[in-house]
Amino acid sequence: MFRWRGQDSHNLDGPRHPAAVTVVAAAMVARAAGQPGPATEECTPEGPRMKLPYVEYEAPSTVAEALELLAEHQDEASVLAGGQSLIPLLALRLARPALLIDINGLRELSEVSAANGSVSVGAMTREYVAEDSETIADTVPLLAAALPLIGHEAIRSRGTIGGSMAHADPAAELPAVARALDAEFVVSSKSGDRVIPAAEWFEGYLTTSRRADELLVEVRFPAARRGTGVSFQEVARRHGDFAIVGLAASLTLSDGVISDARLAFAGLSDVPVRGAEAEQLLVGERPSADLFDEVARQATADLDPPADLHGSSDYRKKVAATLVRRGLQAAADNADERQ
Amino acid sequence: MAGIVAERYTGASIKRSEDPRILTGGGRYVDDIKLPGMLHAAFVRSPLPHARVLSVDVSAAEALPGVVAVFTGSQLEAITVPGPDALMTLMGATGPTPEFTLLATDKVRLVGDPVVLVIAETRYAAEDGCDLVDVEYEEMTSVASAAFALDPDSPPVFANLGNNIAGQHARTEFGDVVGTFAGADRVAEFRIDVHRHQNVPMEGRGCVASYDADSGVLTVYAATQSVHVTKIAVAMRVGLEQDKVRVLAGDIGGSFGLKIGASREELAVAAASRALGLPVKWVEDRSENLTASGQAREESFDVRAAVSNDGDLLGLDVKMVIDTGSYPGMGGMVSGIIQAMLPGPYKLAALGFESTAVITNKAPYVAYRGPWASETFVRERILDLLAKDLGLDPLEIRLRNVAPRSDPPAAMITGRPLVGVTTKESLERVAQLVDIPAFRRRQAEERARGRYLGIGLATFIEGAPGPRSPDGPSGPMGMEFMRLRLAEDGMVELFTGQMPHGQSHQTTLAQIAADEFGVPFDQVRVVVGDTDVVPFGLTGGSRSATMTGGVALHGARQLKVKVLDFASQLMEASARDLEITDGRVWVRGDPESAIAVGEVARQAASGRFGAEEPTNLEVEATFDGGEGGWSGGTHCAIVEVDVETGLVKVERYVAAEDCGALINPAVVEGQIRGGVAQGIGAVLLERSAYDEDGNYQSATFMDYLLPTACDIPRIEIEHLETVPLDADVNFRGVGEGGMIVAPPTMVSAIEDALAPFGVRIYEQHLPPARILELIAAAS
Amino acid sequence: MLDITLSVNGATRTGSAEPRKTLADFLREDLDLTGTHVGCEHGVCGACTVIVDGRAVRSCLMLAVQAVGSEVTTIEGLGPDGGMSTLQEALWDSHSFQCGFCTPGFVMQAAAFLQAHPDADEQQIREALSGNICRCTGYQSIIDGVLLAAERNRQS
Repeated sequence: MFRWRGQDSHNLDGPRHPAAVTVVAAAMVARAAGQPGPATEECTPEGPRMKLPYVEYEAPSTVAEALELLAEHQDEASVLAGGQSLIPLLALRLARPALLIDINGLRELSEVSAANGSVSVGAMTREYVAEDSETIADTVPLLAAALPLIGHEAIRSRGTIGGSMAHADPAAELPAVARALDAEFVVSSKSGDRVIPAAEWFEGYLTTSRRADELLVEVRFPAARRGTGVSFQEVARRHGDFAIVGLAASLTLSDGVISDARLAFAGLSDVPVRGAEAEQLLVGERPSADLFDEVARQATADLDPPADLHGSSDYRKKVAATLVRRGLQAAADNADERQ
Repeated sequence: MAGIVAERYTGASIKRSEDPRILTGGGRYVDDIKLPGMLHAAFVRSPLPHARVLSVDVSAAEALPGVVAVFTGSQLEAITVPGPDALMTLMGATGPTPEFTLLATDKVRLVGDPVVLVIAETRYAAEDGCDLVDVEYEEMTSVASAAFALDPDSPPVFANLGNNIAGQHARTEFGDVVGTFAGADRVAEFRIDVHRHQNVPMEGRGCVASYDADSGVLTVYAATQSVHVTKIAVAMRVGLEQDKVRVLAGDIGGSFGLKIGASREELAVAAASRALGLPVKWVEDRSENLTASGQAREESFDVRAAVSNDGDLLGLDVKMVIDTGSYPGMGGMVSGIIQAMLPGPYKLAALGFESTAVITNKAPYVAYRGPWASETFVRERILDLLAKDLGLDPLEIRLRNVAPRSDPPAAMITGRPLVGVTTKESLERVAQLVDIPAFRRRQAEERARGRYLGIGLATFIEGAPGPRSPDGPSGPMGMEFMRLRLAEDGMVELFTGQMPHGQSHQTTLAQIAADEFGVPFDQVRVVVGDTDVVPFGLTGGSRSATMTGGVALHGARQLKVKVLDFASQLMEASARDLEITDGRVWVRGDPESAIAVGEVARQAASGRFGAEEPTNLEVEATFDGGEGGWSGGTHCAIVEVDVETGLVKVERYVAAEDCGALINPAVVEGQIRGGVAQGIGAVLLERSAYDEDGNYQSATFMDYLLPTACDIPRIEIEHLETVPLDADVNFRGVGEGGMIVAPPTMVSAIEDALAPFGVRIYEQHLPPARILELIAAAS
Repeated sequence: MLDITLSVNGATRTGSAEPRKTLADFLREDLDLTGTHVGCEHGVCGACTVIVDGRAVRSCLMLAVQAVGSEVTTIEGLGPDGGMSTLQEALWDSHSFQCGFCTPGFVMQAAAFLQAHPDADEQQIREALSGNICRCTGYQSIIDGVLLAAERNRQS
C-alpha cells in the first residue's frame, strides 16, 4: 500500500524511484539544496496531479519473458504487481517509468510451500491468500500476525507479498517481519538467480538491493521453532493505517528460558530496524515484566527516529519503548501456549 | 368505503425517496455528466506559497496532441469581468477589497494557486498538458503565520492592501466591562487556539460549463449549495446577463459549506466554455481539494474572564485573531457572529470583543459547518478550566450560569433573546443518562489500575434559524420562497431554492406537504436544482428545517385553499365542506363524492369554467421563519486515553438535543451523528498542516486523516420536550450543532482523563504525540 | 490503446483504453457505469470499491487492462434485474446514507464482506468497513443497515 510521507508532491523525502529522474525531480532536488532565496528558478510547476502519466505497458506470461523485458529496459521500467503502492505513486506522478511490466499473469509466482524448515512464498502471492494460508499460520506465525494489519481487505485483495517487500516502505508491516526473521529474497535475472538476506535487501527509503534487471520471485521465511511465541504490535493513527511505530517480535522459549529473540521495528528509520541489542539482552533470560522494561529502555535509548506530521522523534522513541514492553509480553504469553 | 383515512408523515422516520437511486448507482453527480463534445480541464498550480510569476510558456502544452486550448491568467482576464467575489457581495461583506486576477498573472499566493488552465480531450491529456507548461517564479518571503501577518514588515500578499490585514472588527463592549472586571473576585486569563481543518466532502468541487453560441446561453452543471448564488457569481464574472445563465444541479456529494457561489476555478472554466463554445468539465481531485479548495477555523483567542468565587461567569473580554488564508472568503465575516454568540445560553453580564482577520499564504478561509463554532469551544473550555480553579463540578458551574427560561425571555448581552432555550433541561438530562457519580467511582478504580478514563460535557445553542429579532438575517436570506403546484398527473410539486447535499429535503419537505395538503407521501415531487424553475434559495446555516419546512407547510395550506376553491366549482359544494385526504377531494361525510386531485387539476387546465377560474393550480409562498428559535443541547463523552501511546478511544457518547419538532427523526439523528463525527475528527485526527514556510503538508488522505467506522462510537441521542414557539412551525435546524459542540465535549473528556497529571488543555487538536507532550509538560 | 474485454455485471463489455487508465475511470467513462465513484484516487477512501473475481477491490488502484477477462460487479449490478438486494433494502430501511457519494463503495465492500462472513458481529463489521470513508453519517446508520441485512439473510 502506498504511503506518502507528510508532504505534497514537491517534498524531497519523496521516493528515489530508479525511473523517477525527470525535470520535475531535478527541480525539487535543486530547491532543497537550499538555493539562496529569493532566487529565480526555472522549474516545471507541480501542483497536484492524480491521473497516471503516459506509460507503455507489457504483460509477460512467463518469468522468462519478464526477465527479457527487464534486461532490455532496466531502470526505465517499473514492475507492476498488486499495484496498491505503485499505482498511487504513478497517479501522483511521482514515479514516471517509461514502461510498466505487469507480472500479474505469472501464475508460477503464486505458490506457497513449506520445505526444509522454511516456507517459500511466491512474490505474486496475494496478501489475502497468505492471510488465509494454513501453511503460513502454522509455520511462520509472525507473518500471519502481521498480515491482517496491512491496510484493509480491499488492499489485501490485490496487494502481494513480493510487491510489499520490493516497495520497501519502512513503515510497512512486512519488511519488519522479514528483517526480524532474516528472511531471504530470491531474485532472478537473465544472468541467473541470487539469494539476498533481509539485512542486505533493505537499503534505504523505498530502495532495495534489487538490480534494475532483476525480478523478485520468492521470499523465504524460516519456520518457527517449537516454543516460539510472536507478536506484531503497532501504533497507528487509525485501524488499518501505516504504523507510526511497529514492532515484529518473536521469542523462543526452551524450558522457560529465552533461547531466541527477534525484534524489528517499522517506522523508526528509512529501513526496518533490527533490535539486535535488545535481542542480546533477552537471550538466556527468563521472561518477566522487569526484564522487558529494562530491554525496552535500553533498546530505545539511542534511537533517533524521524519526525513527521504524525509523530515527533521523541514520540516515536517513547512509543517504541512501549511497544517493546507490550510486544515482548505478548510474545512470551503466546510462547507458553505453544510449549 | 366508510371514510378515507390518511397516514401522518411528519414526525415519522419515513424512508427516503432519494435512496432508491443512491443505493443502486443511479445518483447523478457532476462528474457523471457527459455531454457531446465535452472537454476536460486541469490546472497548473503553484508549487510555492508566495512568489512572483515572471513568465509563463504554454507553447509545449498547446502543441501536445489532445490539448485543445490553454488559458493563461492574462488571457482569462481578457474574457472575464473583474470584480469582488459575488458571495461576499451577497452577504454584505465590507472592509478592504484585495485585488487579484482569476488565475495568477503577477503572483501566486498559496501552494496550489491556479496559474494556467489546460483544456483537453481527456483529463489524462489535460494533466499531460499541465506537465508541459513552464512557469518561471521568483520566490518571495512567505507569510505563513498569523503572527507574521500582523507584523507590518511582512510582505503584503495583496499589493493593493499594503498590509496583511483582511479586516478589523473594532472593539465593541456590551454591558459594563470595566466595572464588571474591576468588581470581580477573580480575573483569569487564557490563550485558546483552534487549529486549521477543513470540510472535505467526499465529492470535491466541480462543474460542467456548456456555452451554446446560438442561444447565447451558458448552462452550468454545478455542485453547489445554491444554484442561484452560483448563477449570480458566474454571470457577473463571465459578463453575461443573468437570464443568459442557467445553473443546474443534481445530486451533490456533500459540501459542509464549501460549495457556495463559484470558486475561481469554476469561473475560469465557465469563461473558457464561453470562449470555446464547447462544454468543459472540471472536477477537482483530492489533492486539489485538500490543498486549494479552502480551509477553516484557525482562530486564536486571548481571553480574560471575570469570575466570582462561587463560580459566576460575570464577564468576558476577548481578542481574536483569525487566519483567513489568501483569497477572500468568509473569514472576515465570522467575527460578527462569534461576538454575537459568545454569551451563549448563560447569564453573562459583560462582554468586550475585538478581532483581526489576517491574510496568509494559505488556502482561503471557507465556511465550515458552524463557522462560528469557536465561540462555543472557547466558552465551554473556560467554564471547565474555571471549574477546576474553583473546585467546582463542570455540570454544577454550567447549571449555575445558565440563564433561566423566563417570560419575557432573557436576552444575551449581545442582544438576541434566549427564547425557548432548554439548556438547563439538556444538562440535567445528560447527567441522568450518564450517571456521573457512578462513572467517577469507576474512574477512580481504573486509575488505581493505571487506566485513564475521563468524562467531559459541553452545551451549546445555535440559531436555527434563531429567534425572531430585528437583527436577524435580512434580505433574501431572511425569507424563504417556494412555488407549489398541483400538476395534472396529481403530483403536488414543490419548487424550492434549497439544494440538498445530504439533508434529505426530497423526503422531509414531501412529508410536510403531504400532511398539509392531503396526498400520500409519494405523490409529492420536490423540484430542486434549476435556476430556470426554482425560486431563490440556499441550503446552509441550519435554516431549512424552519424556513423551508415552514414555507412548505404554509404553502401547502395555501395551495389547498386554492384547489378547494376551484373544486367547489367543480363539485358544486362549498369549499368549507370539502376535504383533501389521501389524494382525493371529497365532500365531508360523502366518500362517494371523491375525485382524484389530478382530475381536479386537469379540469382546471381545461378552462371549462371560464376566465374567472384558474387553469393552473399554483401558489407562490413566502415564509420569514415565524417565531424561529434556537436549537441546542448538551453532549457528553467518556473516553479512555492510553497514556503510553496517546491514542484515545471514545467509549461512550451521549447527546441530549432540542431541535424542536422533528420532521423525520432518522434524518435528524443522521445530521447529529455526522456533525459529531466531524467534531471528533477535528480533535483526534484532522489538521490542515502547513510548515513554517507555508508548504502544505496534508495534501492526501494519508496525511489529512478522516475518522472511520472504528473511530466513531454509537452516539446515543435523546430528543427533549421542546418549547413550542410558533403556532405551526416548530421544526428547528440541526445540521451544525454536532460539529459545534463535539470538539469541546471531547477536549473536556480528554482533559478529565489526564487530570491526575495536572494537564490543562487550551487547544483543540490532540493527536497522540500532542497528548504525550501535554503529559510530559505538566508532570 | 489496448482492447479491453471483460464481464461486467454479467454482460460482456468491450472498450479501448490506454494502459494507464484506471478501472474506475474505464467503468465510468467508457462503459457509462457512473455508479462507481472516485473519491481520492489514491486508494484510501474506498468510494471506488467494486468486486473483481469475487473480491472487493479499489478500482482506482487497478488498471483497466488488468481486469481483462475478469468478472466485475459494480453497484449497478448488485441487485437482481435493476432492483435491490437484501443488503440494499436493509440500508434503505436503516436510513444508512445521506449525500450518497460514498455509498456505492460501502455497499460493494459490505456485500463482499457479508458474503464471506455472514455472521459477523458489529465490531467485525466496523473493522471491515473502516477502509471506507463517509463524511456525512458518523457510520452508525451504515453499521445498523449491514447488521439488519445479515439478520435478514439468516432468516431467509
